[in-house]
Amino acid sequence: MNGTRLRDDLIGVMGAGVGTPLPDADFDALARRVWAHQCERNPAFARFCDARGVQPGSWSSWRDLPPVPARAFRERGLVSPGPAQAVFRTSGTTDAGAARGEHRVPDLSLYHASLLPNFEAHLLPGGARLPMVSLIPSPLEVPDSSLSHMIGVVEAELAAETRYFVGRDGRLDEHALRAALRDAEDAGDPVLVVGTAFAFVHLLDALATGDTRFRLPDGSRVMETGGFKGRSRTVPREELYAAIDSRLGIPPRRIVNEYGMTELLSQFYEPVLAGGARLHRPPPWVRTRVLDPATLEELPPGREGLLCHVDLANLGSVCCVLTEDLGVEPPEAEGHGFRVLGRNPGAEPRGCSLAMDELMTARRGPIR
Amino acid sequence: MRTFPAWWLPPGVPGRAAPAVAELPPHARGAEHPGTAPTAFSTTSVSDDLRLRFPTPDPAFARRLCDHLVEGGARLHERRTDSLVASLGRAGARFLDPADPIRKEALDLLPAAAGLSTAMAREVLDGMARDWTADRLARLVRAQFPDPAVLDGFRPGPGGSRVRAFGHRLIVQLGAGNVAGVSVGGVVRALLARSPVLLKPGLHDAVLPVLYARALADCDPELAAALAVLYWPGGADTVEAEVLPRAGLVVVYGGTDTVAAVRGRLPAATPLVAYSHRVGVALVGREALAAGQAARTALDAARAVAAFDQRGCVSPHLFWVEEGGALTPAEWAARLAAAMAALEQDLPAGPAAPDIASRVQQLRGTWELKQAAGDGTRVFRPAGAEWTVAYDPDPAFSPSCLGRFAWVKPVPDLERVAGLLAGLRPFLQTAGLCGAGTRAASLAEQLGRAGVTRVATLRRMAWPPAWWHHDGGDPLRALVRWVDWEVEQEPRPTV
Repeated sequence: MNGTRLRDDLIGVMGAGVGTPLPDADFDALARRVWAHQCERNPAFARFCDARGVQPGSWSSWRDLPPVPARAFRERGLVSPGPAQAVFRTSGTTDAGAARGEHRVPDLSLYHASLLPNFEAHLLPGGARLPMVSLIPSPLEVPDSSLSHMIGVVEAELAAETRYFVGRDGRLDEHALRAALRDAEDAGDPVLVVGTAFAFVHLLDALATGDTRFRLPDGSRVMETGGFKGRSRTVPREELYAAIDSRLGIPPRRIVNEYGMTELLSQFYEPVLAGGARLHRPPPWVRTRVLDPATLEELPPGREGLLCHVDLANLGSVCCVLTEDLGVEPPEAEGHGFRVLGRNPGAEPRGCSLAMDELMTARRGPIR
Repeated sequence: MRTFPAWWLPPGVPGRAAPAVAELPPHARGAEHPGTAPTAFSTTSVSDDLRLRFPTPDPAFARRLCDHLVEGGARLHERRTDSLVASLGRAGARFLDPADPIRKEALDLLPAAAGLSTAMAREVLDGMARDWTADRLARLVRAQFPDPAVLDGFRPGPGGSRVRAFGHRLIVQLGAGNVAGVSVGGVVRALLARSPVLLKPGLHDAVLPVLYARALADCDPELAAALAVLYWPGGADTVEAEVLPRAGLVVVYGGTDTVAAVRGRLPAATPLVAYSHRVGVALVGREALAAGQAARTALDAARAVAAFDQRGCVSPHLFWVEEGGALTPAEWAARLAAAMAALEQDLPAGPAAPDIASRVQQLRGTWELKQAAGDGTRVFRPAGAEWTVAYDPDPAFSPSCLGRFAWVKPVPDLERVAGLLAGLRPFLQTAGLCGAGTRAASLAEQLGRAGVTRVATLRRMAWPPAWWHHDGGDPLRALVRWVDWEVEQEPRPTV
């Protein structure tokens, strides 16, 4: 099967690790095969591309791939018809009331092949095998969360041992967590703490109540992910990191932000453990561009626009995904990667028409 | 990059000396009087080429300003309605006079300040300022007060009593998110109701109220002294903690969160008039799809979507089109698309805000993929177009992402629409209605019961008159404080 060979070729690229660059020509050749495979599996996608003048005979570069909005994952079966080994769903916090995004993954091996070397390089470099303290629910608790699935794979393949302290309802088992942090302190062996920004805020609030402070052993590190979409309390990042430093004893230079989304099977990390800049770095099998929100034309470094990723790990759905996140690629001197700015930083509304998100959020109240 | 001094303060507010008069352009110096302004200023860019500059109010200054407005505003009760209408109208009419420098300045600044194209800025100014003229204000007063003399003194009321409408000691008007010109309308009504007013404009509606205040100061300094325009970042707790308790009435324009936050910070006895964000919808009946009608209907519909670049609470999110007419709803969607394309030449869209543009891309791309999947969806938007028409065979309500994005959905009968509005009641505002023929009255009744507060033709949809019941409330009566004087009745002599 062509699909199997393509999958194996992609796994080969990923297996070479994030430190092995993939020249643009090689990326382009793979992207073309991925696209052809997707057109074959998904006739609607093929017609969508055709309507934009992207046809098998007209391929010139992966840059011509028409972006598929992340929103399209909310329409059942639209981006990934056919059987699936796993179905991951978005958390549904941004548009309460609207359908949740759904990523049907026909073959999990690509997901695993993509996530492991990237996670290892940015959080467990040099063969470190640390015990993992997870503020992310276990995949047994939330099987349709791609984040939980990822942590489960890391648990099986990279971590010394893993304990979960947040349940499917998002509730933190504070008592057990305090005990585990105390044990880690006593044992003197570094740990890896993973969690969403919101879970960290919850934990830090709890620790602040009794003014509890831990000093986790040197070499400990944090993976923090996700923003505060749809949450009542948001905390600026610097403040969050300072609180992690003061309550857990893990300094900001050992706190790595992960940017990921259900719609993409690859993730982006800041290379801070290696002393790199706080920029999110795509792995070699992903190309990220910043597009003009109005025209979708590519913007040069320094200009803010919409982040659009071509992720070859998305073989089973669509690989060119347009996000709703604004971002910017800093001028080259600052290093390879991009900075995520969020949905709509600091804007004041420009009118009195009810915006879609506001309507969805507001309707949660009166209707249910 | 231009800088606009985006504030207006009445003369004589006790405070520190103002250092900044000299740096203002000569025509703007009236905005600042020695001895009135706080010393700290800040600037914010509202577009690539326009910065707004405003004093940063500290709590002590905000308190003095409120007290000063209350003191000066008391004199408004000595004015007669006729003279207020004349002065407010004279200032307003200047925005319609092509030769007037105030109109020129407004037209010069408005595109950048409000994010509109030059042509749309003119359309918005013409549409808004029409309601600031003496004729329209007099009609507003008459529409709201069958006996307008109640605004000037006690008048006979029911049961032998006497009644009089007073202004409030101070109206605080907070505008977070409204279309350009809306805050001037609010200020004019507050002054007409004889209340001094402190306006905190939305960042994108700060230019017109300042220009209006200047125009008013030219013709009626006493009236202009009852007005202050001052911006502070939304929710600045220390400033609002001084301002809100001093208000006799608070008017707020804003999103659900803003309105809820203001409501939570008000003293229990302070009345609040809240205009939260709303949705408009439209109904297109069979009669409007006939050969001689369809093109006109589509053009009116396109203008309703394009007005304010769809940012108004009056702007339609979707059109329910009746089946069984000369055109199918999908065919009418194509007509609407053609009208949008034609209109883009006359009234181009302003620069798209990134968040709106982003949502447009998400919806367009998703619905184009659905169209490719053959589910009956059709998306109309030529390359480079700054508008989108999406035909969706599912009649269920869908909100637009704005940015001139209009849904077209089929209904077998317009009678079905009221049912489709279920659940939207708290957010409904204007319903455009056309082509309903003799069914219009019964449809208006149904729409009103469903929660709609205004039914209008597509052509008038975006431009409610000065006397409209905005969100179902009284425009002027909501701003007055009634006083009943129950006169002791002389016993009737017995015969």
